[in-house]
Amino acid sequence: MGAVLAAPAGLLAHLFDAPMRLWQRIAGRGGMIAFFLAPNMAIFGLFVIVPLGLNVAYALSGGTALFLPQRSYVGAANFERLLTCGDHMDPATCRDDLFWIAVWNTVRFVGLQVVVLVGVAMVTALILNGKIRARGFWRAVFFFPVLLSPVVVGLIWKWIFQRQGLLNWVMVELGMDPVNWLTDRTWAFLFSVGISVWAHAGFYALILLAGLQAIPRDIYEAAEMDRTSPGRAFRRITLPLLWPNLLVVIVLALIRAVQVFDEVYVLTGGGPGTSTMYLTQYIYETGFASSLRNPGVAAAASLLMGGVLVVLTIAQLGLTRWRDRQ
Amino acid sequence: MSAVAFLTRRRGGRGWHWTDVVTFGWLAAGLVLIFGPALWLLLSSFKTPAQLAEFPPSILPYASRSAMVDTGDGPRLLPLYTVELPDGTTAVMAEKNRIGIMANMVRPEAPDEVVKVNINARQPLREVAFATGNYTTPLQAFDFGRYLWNSVFVTVIATLITLLTNSMAAFALSKYEFKGRGAVMMVIVATLMIPLSVNLVPLYSVVSAVGLLNTRWGVILPTVATPTGVFMLRQYMLTIPDELLEAARMDNASEWQIYWRIVLPLAAPALAVLAIFSVVWRWNDFLWPLIVLSRKELFTLQIGLNSYAGELNVHWQFILAMTVVSIIPVLIVFFFLQRFITAGIAGTGLK
Amino acid sequence: MGHIRLEVVRKTYGPLEVLKGIDLSIEKGEFVVFVGPSGCGKSTLLRQISGLDRPSSGRIEIDGRDVTDVGAADRGLAMVFQSYALYPHMTVRDNLAFGLQNNRMPKAEIASRIAEAARMLEIGHLMTRRPGQLSGGQRQRVAIGRAVVRDPTAFLLDEPLSNLDAELRVSMRAELAALHARLKTTMIYVTHDQVEAMTLADRIVVLRDGAIEQVATPMELFNRPANRFVAGFIGAPRMNFLDVADAAALAPGQAMPGAAASVGVRPQNLRPGDGEAAMTVDLVEALGTETVLHGRLASGSRVIVAHAGQMAARRGDVLAVAAEAGKLHFFDAADRRVEA
Repeated sequence: MGAVLAAPAGLLAHLFDAPMRLWQRIAGRGGMIAFFLAPNMAIFGLFVIVPLGLNVAYALSGGTALFLPQRSYVGAANFERLLTCGDHMDPATCRDDLFWIAVWNTVRFVGLQVVVLVGVAMVTALILNGKIRARGFWRAVFFFPVLLSPVVVGLIWKWIFQRQGLLNWVMVELGMDPVNWLTDRTWAFLFSVGISVWAHAGFYALILLAGLQAIPRDIYEAAEMDRTSPGRAFRRITLPLLWPNLLVVIVLALIRAVQVFDEVYVLTGGGPGTSTMYLTQYIYETGFASSLRNPGVAAAASLLMGGVLVVLTIAQLGLTRWRDRQ
Repeated sequence: MSAVAFLTRRRGGRGWHWTDVVTFGWLAAGLVLIFGPALWLLLSSFKTPAQLAEFPPSILPYASRSAMVDTGDGPRLLPLYTVELPDGTTAVMAEKNRIGIMANMVRPEAPDEVVKVNINARQPLREVAFATGNYTTPLQAFDFGRYLWNSVFVTVIATLITLLTNSMAAFALSKYEFKGRGAVMMVIVATLMIPLSVNLVPLYSVVSAVGLLNTRWGVILPTVATPTGVFMLRQYMLTIPDELLEAARMDNASEWQIYWRIVLPLAAPALAVLAIFSVVWRWNDFLWPLIVLSRKELFTLQIGLNSYAGELNVHWQFILAMTVVSIIPVLIVFFFLQRFITAGIAGTGLK
Repeated sequence: MGHIRLEVVRKTYGPLEVLKGIDLSIEKGEFVVFVGPSGCGKSTLLRQISGLDRPSSGRIEIDGRDVTDVGAADRGLAMVFQSYALYPHMTVRDNLAFGLQNNRMPKAEIASRIAEAARMLEIGHLMTRRPGQLSGGQRQRVAIGRAVVRDPTAFLLDEPLSNLDAELRVSMRAELAALHARLKTTMIYVTHDQVEAMTLADRIVVLRDGAIEQVATPMELFNRPANRFVAGFIGAPRMNFLDVADAAALAPGQAMPGAAASVGVRPQNLRPGDGEAAMTVDLVEALGTETVLHGRLASGSRVIVAHAGQMAARRGDVLAVAAEAGKLHFFDAADRRVEA
C-alpha cells in the first residue's frame, strides 16, 4: 500500500514544489505559515465563527424571514417568549409550551440516560478488563453499535418494536399480550433512553477500559498480598484511581445527552405526541421544519442550550486537564 | 492482575465464583442484545413483503416452492403444498385451483389425478430463499443508487479535505513559532465546545448566502474544519522531533516539502485515525444533511432511508435492505480498522 | 573552499545572552572542535553557522560571502545531528538522496554519489533498510553519509558520537579523522568530550558562558593554556591548582613570577618518591598503565599524582613528591596565564 500511495504523493510533491519554493521566497516563512493555516481557517471562520456571531443577531430579531436584512430587531422578545411561564414546572402555563415540554423531556432523558449509560459502560469496562478469554473480540462486540449511524440504530429498533415485530413475538411466546410499544408514552420514552444507551455505551466503556488498564497491576498484587477482599479492592483502589476518568466520562455523556436527536427522531419522530421531543428536535422544527417557522426563537433556544453546553464543556476541559495531571 | 481479574479469578480454579457468573451473563447478554438486532435486520432484509407481514414471524427468510405441472392445458407454474391425505399419509402436491376452503390438488408426477383437499389440511411447501430483489430493486428502480453515490461522494471528499486542511493547520500550529499562535489555538479549543446543533439557524443562512443550499458541498464544507481533527493532529505532530525538520532544511527542502514529505508521512498513524473517524462521521451524518438537502436527488443514504421510513406506505422490505447496505462500509471499517479506532478513542477521547 | 569567518556574533534570547560577541576565523580544510561545559553556547554557535538560527547581531561569512541572512539550505553546509535526525520513514538510500533531489541533481549523479559514499562508509548493504532497522553505529554512518553525499563547503557535526557506546565511539573517532584526512573539507565539530577534541582537532575552540576562552592547537592548549579555566578543562586527571607556597615546596629551585597568584601543575608532572615535599595518600587508583594517587600535602592542600606505570602504594602511606622542572603554569589574580 505504501508503494501505491508513494507514486502519486511523490508526483504531487514534485508538481507543487516549484510554485511553493517561489512563494516561500516571496513571502518568507510567515507567508508559508499563512499558507498552511489559510484553508482551514477560512472554512472554519465562514462555517463556525461567522455563524456563531450571527446566532446572536438571529436571536435578537423577529419574523419568519431567514435573511437577516429582512428581519427586524426585537430585543430580548424571543428569549421572553421562551422563558415566560406561569409555572416553569408546568409547560401548559408557558408562552412557548413546546419549548418547556422539550426542556423537561430533555432533563428527564439526561437524568436517566447518563446514569444508565455510565453504569453499563462501567460494568462493561470492568468485565472487559477482567481475566476473560478473547478480550479483543468482546471489546469489538461492545464497540460495534458505536459505529452505526443514528438512522440505522433508529430503524433497527423501530423494526423490532413495531406492532408485529420481534419484541412482540417474544411477548407472545412468553404468554403475554403484544404491546404497541411506540405509541405508549412511557415505553417510547424508556426505549429512547434504551437505544441511545445501546448505541453509545461501548464508546464510554472503551474510555473507562483505557483508564482501568492504566492502573498498575502491582497495586492489585500488593493488595492481594494484604488479603484485601475483591469488593474492598474495587472501592479503595479501582474507584479512586479511576475517578478522574469516570468524571470525564460523565461530563462527556452529559454533553452528548443534552443534544440527543438523531436516533430518537428516527425511532419515534418525537412521539407519541410530544413525549420524546427533545431540545434539538424543538430547535430543528422551530427553525426549519414546522409550518410556524421562527428562526429567531430557534436561535434563542440554541443559544440557551449552547450556554448549558459551554458550562459543561468548560467543566470537561478542566477535568481532563486535572485528570492528565493526576 | 486488574480489578475484575481480581474479582473474577476462579478461587484456585475450583467452582464458580459469583463474579464469574456475572461476567458470563453480561457478556452473553451483550452478545445477544448487540448482534441480535443486527442479525434480525439482516434476516428480515431478505424476506418478501408477504413474509414481513406475517405474525408471528419466521426466523429465516423463506420462499414458497412451486413446480411446472402440465394439467392438460399446457405446463403451468403451480405452488406446492404438503398435504395430509385422508388415509393419514402426507404427500407433496401442487394446487391446480381453489374453490372456497377446498382446493383441487394434483401430484406433480401424476397431474391428471385431482384430489380435493381442505385448505386447513395442507401447508405451503417452503424453502429458505433470499429475496435479493429487496436489494436490487431500490438500487435500480428507486433513487437508492443515487443516494448511495451521494453518500460515497460526500464521505470521500469531506474526508480528503479534512485530512488536507486539518493537517496543514496542525503543521503550522505545531512546528512554527509565530505571533497569534496562542490566539488561534484558543479559538480552536473554544469552538470544540460549540456543536453544530447550536449553530443550525445561522449556519443555514451562511450556507444559503454562499449558494451552497441543496448542494453536496453545502453538506461537506461546514463539517470539514473540525477543531477536533486539528487538535488531535497537532498533539501528534508535537511529538515529531524538530531536528528532523532541521535536517530537512539543511537538505534544502522547502517548507512545503517538509510538510508533505517529512511531517505527513510521520503523522500517518494520527492521520489514519482521523481518516477512519471522518469516514464514519460523514457516512453517518444526519441532522445537517437533513437541513441542507431538500432535493431528493441529492439525498444521502441516511436521509433517503429516513424519508422512506417516514412515508405513509412504508416499503419495509426495501428500507431494511438499504439499511443493511448503509452498514456495509461501517462493517468494513469495523472489521479491519477496529484496532485503530479503539486505540484512537483511548488515546484522545474523540468520537 | 570552506573558509568561515564570524564577526562579533551575538545571540540573545530575551534578557539571556547566549553568545557574547564571537569572533572566529576557520581556515579552509581545517578540523575545528568547539568544546566546553554544557550550556557554554557551543551548540548555539554551531546553529548560527548552519543557518538554522540567525544571530541577534554580527556577521557570518563563508568564502568571503556574507551569509548572515542566508537560509540554512543555501549556505552549502551539511550537518550531522546528535540524534542523527534520519528520516524514519525513508530507506537509507532515500535518506541520502533526499537532499540531492531537492537540489534537482540528475539521477545518475545522485546514484554515483551515493555509491561513492556507501563504499567510503561501508554502508552499501544497508541501502534498502530503514533507520529503525539499523544499529546505533550504522545510523551514525548513514548520518555522516547523508552529509558526505552533499559534498558540502563544510561539515557541521553536533556531538555526533555522544549516543554511541564507549568502544564504538573510539572506532568512529578514528574513522572521522580518516574521513577528514581524505576529504580535506572544513569540519566544525561540537563536543563536550575533551578526548574527542584533542584527538580530532586541528584547532580547538574552548567556550565558556557564551565567550571564547582560547583558540589553539591541542598541544598548545595543553602546554600553554591561556587561563585557569582552560588549564582545568583540558587534561585528565584535572590539573592541580596550588598556592605559591605549596608550589615552592614542590619545586624548590623554580623561580616564581611576581604576578603569580596561583600555580597549576598537571598530575603527570608530579613525581612520587622524589624531592622534599611530603604527601599523605588518601586513595590509590591503579589503572595498570598508570597509577593515580589522591593525597594531601603537609599544608592540607589536596593534590593528584599520576604515575606512569604501576607502583606499590597504599592508603595512609606518606610519600615524597616533587614537580618536574619547568612544568609549572602560573596564573595571576584574574586567572590569566603569566609566563615564567
